[in-house]
Amino acid sequence: MGTTASQLRKDLLSEYQELTFLTKQEIILAHKRFSELLSKEDRNVPTPRVPMEKVLSLPELKSNPFRKRICHVFSTSDMKDGSLTFEDFLDLLSAFSDSATLEIKSHYAFRIFDFDDDGTLDGGDLEKLVNCLTGETDDTRLTTEEMRQLISNILEESDIDKDGTVNLSEFQHVISRSPDFVSSFKIVL
Amino acid sequence: MSFDDKKHIRGQVLALKSFKKSRQLNCFSDCSTTVSLAFRRCGANMTLAKQTLELWRGTMKEVGGKFGTGVLSYFKFLKWLLMFNIFSFLVNFGFITIPQLIYHPTPDIPAGVSFKGLEILTGAGYFSHTVMYYGGYSNKTQGTGGRSEYNMQLAYFFTVAAYMVLCGAALIYSMASSFRKKYVLADSGLGGAWQLLCSWDFSVTNEKAVRQRKNNLRIQLKESLSEKVQVALLPLTERLKHYGVFLGTWLLSTGMALGCGASVYFLSSSGSLLEEAATLLLPFVVSLINLVVPLFYSLFKKIEHYSNPRMQVYAIIVRNVILKMSILGILCYYWMKDVANTFSCWESIVGQALYRLVIMDFLFIMLGSFFGEFLSNVIGTKCIQSLGVPEFDVARNVLDLIYAQTLAWIGIYFSPLLPVIQIIKFFILFYLKKVSLTQNCQPPRRAGRAAQMQTIFIAILFFPSFVGALSMVAYTVWTLPPSDKCGPFRGLNTTFSAIQIWMDDLNRVDAFQWTVWIYQHVIRSEIFYFLISLIILVFIYIFRQITQGRQLLITLLRQQIVNVSSGELSGLTCLVHQSCCVRSGCVYVMMLLKCWNNIFS
Repeated sequence: MGTTASQLRKDLLSEYQELTFLTKQEIILAHKRFSELLSKEDRNVPTPRVPMEKVLSLPELKSNPFRKRICHVFSTSDMKDGSLTFEDFLDLLSAFSDSATLEIKSHYAFRIFDFDDDGTLDGGDLEKLVNCLTGETDDTRLTTEEMRQLISNILEESDIDKDGTVNLSEFQHVISRSPDFVSSFKIVL
Repeated sequence: MSFDDKKHIRGQVLALKSFKKSRQLNCFSDCSTTVSLAFRRCGANMTLAKQTLELWRGTMKEVGGKFGTGVLSYFKFLKWLLMFNIFSFLVNFGFITIPQLIYHPTPDIPAGVSFKGLEILTGAGYFSHTVMYYGGYSNKTQGTGGRSEYNMQLAYFFTVAAYMVLCGAALIYSMASSFRKKYVLADSGLGGAWQLLCSWDFSVTNEKAVRQRKNNLRIQLKESLSEKVQVALLPLTERLKHYGVFLGTWLLSTGMALGCGASVYFLSSSGSLLEEAATLLLPFVVSLINLVVPLFYSLFKKIEHYSNPRMQVYAIIVRNVILKMSILGILCYYWMKDVANTFSCWESIVGQALYRLVIMDFLFIMLGSFFGEFLSNVIGTKCIQSLGVPEFDVARNVLDLIYAQTLAWIGIYFSPLLPVIQIIKFFILFYLKKVSLTQNCQPPRRAGRAAQMQTIFIAILFFPSFVGALSMVAYTVWTLPPSDKCGPFRGLNTTFSAIQIWMDDLNRVDAFQWTVWIYQHVIRSEIFYFLISLIILVFIYIFRQITQGRQLLITLLRQQIVNVSSGELSGLTCLVHQSCCVRSGCVYVMMLLKCWNNIFS
């Protein structure tokens, strides 16, 4: 982190610029927004962590159905509580930026959709994914029958080696055939 | 990879670099690394500058966040067309208008003509003698009193030609890359479930919009499920009835388009073109037809039953394009056949007619926005509650933009400063549409295939729109005799003879013989074009065979993945068996090579 809460050191700025897909302006803006989330005591700590609830108060993430998964995926905390340092935050913005490549985006999308963190998307993950996107309450969900049908359609479409789960390569293959993905997998401050 | 890992790797790379540096105290490598670092920094700074100068970035982010990428594509398209017009303005103003203004600063306006307010609408009167139109440019080679020569004829011709060629190249490039990314590589299945799930728009930030999208996604998922379950075969009588209805509606819509075209032709040939206020009648009727008839076409939706809702959208688009292009085609035919023979300064007359069409089109787009969005909103929320808040009709608005740009492209030759009007129009239109959108419309209900629609729009912009405008200008330049009393090409047989005269002049100078040779043996010879077309056709055939072979290979490899993962040792025999069924020559060869590889590895 920078020496004061409002300034980022030049060498750190150029280091961040080389390590992420963000431009200088975007990094400075990210720093400003991150500092606003810090509480007063945290500002003087060398690498402060922002708890997940505060990160989720950002307007860009507040209404996102995958907000909790995003925080968990990008968090480097040992306690797995979804808290983010500034560098985790930059990582997040870099993966969701305009100039990130399709491989990066599909890699992170796979990790976000993998609810049980086991490296493949099985039926349970797909069911949670559909529920996230259609609605949380009972009257907005799909019925069990419809869910079963939908999951079998999805697996039929994307499971190339027919093992009942979608692994990273199969996921990336499906994503590469979806032209809207790159433009919609974007969060800009 | 976490940030710490990245920093660690970067640290190692830098350490390695500095170690290498300390070993080789070589001036050259030091120089080259500094230069490459400078280039990278320069590139980063240029991207930063581009981002800050980018027009309307904040507004587009706001619109995208609330309404999604489908509606945003309209605004991106508008911005892209605006760039074309800005470039055209700069080129025309720089190379044609400024020299004219330098040598003849004041236009020679005949006595008795003064500036009345009506000129803004009609473009005639005072404007017809200024540099606004073709007629305001002189044909003399400027260069008196020691200043260097400036050949106005060549400048006019080459500016228009260069602009058209660059436009065409830009359009072909963006169309081809868009096609490749969004059509060929995209899934051709109908609304597959993965497409719906992966196209969740992460940039939507408005809470209400997110809830609505979830709702819409659920409805679409349910629809896609029921589509798959339903048995698609209808009885024969039903299918015949559907085809009959299709035939009827298509005949009706094409007939209406041709009927409107014929009425426009009769109106233009009967009316007098010289009385100022009466000249506004033709553009008014044209714009009225363009506004009302598409509404009529959308009524056909109730009768027709397309199996796929996407086909419905395509049908509407094709009908609208046929209507607009046939009206423009009839007008161009009228201008080139009748006006060119009747009037003395006919290019300026055509330029004025285009000016009026552009202005009237603008007024009608504003009216259309008022009726289509504002009134629909009022009716939907206050009077007839069942209709609801209207959606922003991206297809109709984009087709309006394409029509407006076609007018500008046709007008490049006849009215060099028409891009100025177009720039002002697009600027105002952007803000107007944005306000109308945010006040009156709701986000779209279906997650439309925005990427594929964008490809289609670029294709329509290229094929009937740009190619039509280019062919009209090319026909004018190649065959029509320019008017002999005004304009830079007065006195010549055709506009193109200016180039012929220039080539004859160059022939006398020895140093430019190669240019003359290129002109005579490449540009003017038919054999050259014939050979080029033949070579291109052969290449297309070869590439098509390769593509087909590759598709077959993909199917075979997929089968192989399934076989391998399910543990069958059928790899080699499977391939050999299937290679016997393959017809395409190159795939057979590739299969054989694979077999040899497997045997000998």
